[in-house]
Amino acid sequence: MAITARHPTAAGTEIEAGACTDTGRVRKINEDSFSVAEEISLFILSDGMGGHASGEVASRLTVDTILAHCRAAEENPSLELSGYRIPGVTEASNRLASAIRLANLTVYEAALKHVRAPDSKRTGMGATVVAAQFVEGRATVAHVGDSRAYRLRGDTFKQLTEDHSFIAEQVRRGMLTEQEARRSNLQNVLVRALGVETEVLVDVREEIVLEDDTFLLCSDGLTRELSDTQIAAVLKDADGADEAAACLVDLANRAGGADNITAIVLRCAPKAVGAFGQAARLGRWFRGSR
Amino acid sequence: MSKLVLKFESSVLKEVAVGVKEVSIGRSPDNGIIIDNPAVSHYHARVFNEEGRLMLEDFGSMNGTFVNGQRVKMVTLKPGDSVGIGKHTIVVTDSAEIRASSPSNGNGMPAPPKINETVMLDTKERREFLQRVAAVGESSQVAPARLKIATLVVKRGRTDQREYTLADKLTIIGKSAMATVKLRGWFAPKTAAQITRRDDNTYYIGAAGRTPMVNGVAVKQQTKLASGDVIEVAGAELEFVYRD
Repeated sequence: MAITARHPTAAGTEIEAGACTDTGRVRKINEDSFSVAEEISLFILSDGMGGHASGEVASRLTVDTILAHCRAAEENPSLELSGYRIPGVTEASNRLASAIRLANLTVYEAALKHVRAPDSKRTGMGATVVAAQFVEGRATVAHVGDSRAYRLRGDTFKQLTEDHSFIAEQVRRGMLTEQEARRSNLQNVLVRALGVETEVLVDVREEIVLEDDTFLLCSDGLTRELSDTQIAAVLKDADGADEAAACLVDLANRAGGADNITAIVLRCAPKAVGAFGQAARLGRWFRGSR
Repeated sequence: MSKLVLKFESSVLKEVAVGVKEVSIGRSPDNGIIIDNPAVSHYHARVFNEEGRLMLEDFGSMNGTFVNGQRVKMVTLKPGDSVGIGKHTIVVTDSAEIRASSPSNGNGMPAPPKINETVMLDTKERREFLQRVAAVGESSQVAPARLKIATLVVKRGRTDQREYTLADKLTIIGKSAMATVKLRGWFAPKTAAQITRRDDNTYYIGAAGRTPMVNGVAVKQQTKLASGDVIEVAGAELEFVYRD
């Protein structure tokens, strides 16, 4: 399934969004969920986990809760934040983090009601989340877990999020090399996820958005199968965002498709030339070459 | 008797018992639980026993005190409740509670999780894992190093390189931007064939637009590649070789 939407954001950048999700070649159901909410430039992806399709419930709850809270905040900007205010970041960033904390609680409560792991208090249902919102020339990227956000700018393809996985932590601590990490048996072990505890720490990052930037939100089903170089090549070469997303999913399936695969591709195109076209062109000229 | 467990993210920092004396919480060093963080007020809140019940009172702090996500002024606490102050969490436990044991593998250490499931490590398991890794070395969790490196040697045809190391799970042969083996020439197809790697380091070739031949035999679905096999597709001839 692939969709496309093109719409302007506040600062003259149009975002062309394309998304595609697939169960993959091994799993029986798709426990990834996503949402493309172009009217508020909000894009959300969640990868659910837990037995008996509770992963699907967890990821759907995550996406729906975040979407509802952010939409409500658009109507009512003084809507109370859930949890504490993060200093030094924009209101939009705080709003997104707040939405994710609410999603965490929602999944946690649902898990308590329906699922209980045989040992201790740990709930048997959880989800990752990665979300991006574009406001006034800035992108806020917030995440919990090992679903990722990347940005392609020119020839540079950069991972914007740090995986909250045991392996990634070991690499950060210098206990494991990147190469060893890729070969490890413990790829799927997370140290942070939604729905597991009542409180969760949300990572938030802000990026300035330039014309021709391409952002990618994806679940680990994509990055386990394709290398960063291969993903970047698809993003550069594809004609449109939806073609890019569909191509990424197809290639990940060809490579093995061991997990559910979801990709949201966001292309930041210069605003269509109109009343402000002249000013935009002048601005580009003075900015010089990148 | 109740215990307060101070945590930051999933790390346990301190455990404090609440007895006859109250436990005050805040940034100031004369608190029972000191949280040195600008989001925490000097005297932020306190936990005390009141006629057999465990109570939490917020001292009118700037950023508030939360219990299970809800901002509170004065509430009763029960075991399992999670108190949020700044970025820290204080979990209320009953010290008489016996912690259920996690599944173990006979050594007394928690069994490593199944590869295909995604699981969450909580604090205790994570500490044990880290200790185990430090003691035994990372080799216990890493698959045996691939001693054989798969390569393609170009015998005939126009390609961007003479030899390719197959480093990825998927290798595309074709003209497209995402091909590893880039075919040159006006009539070269965008994708001609694909080679996939399985978990056991075996490689299989399949069609991806054209039908490749392996040692003169057309590939039907997927053909497993052995060292020395010769692949022909889209005008190119490539030898598959495992190198040490």
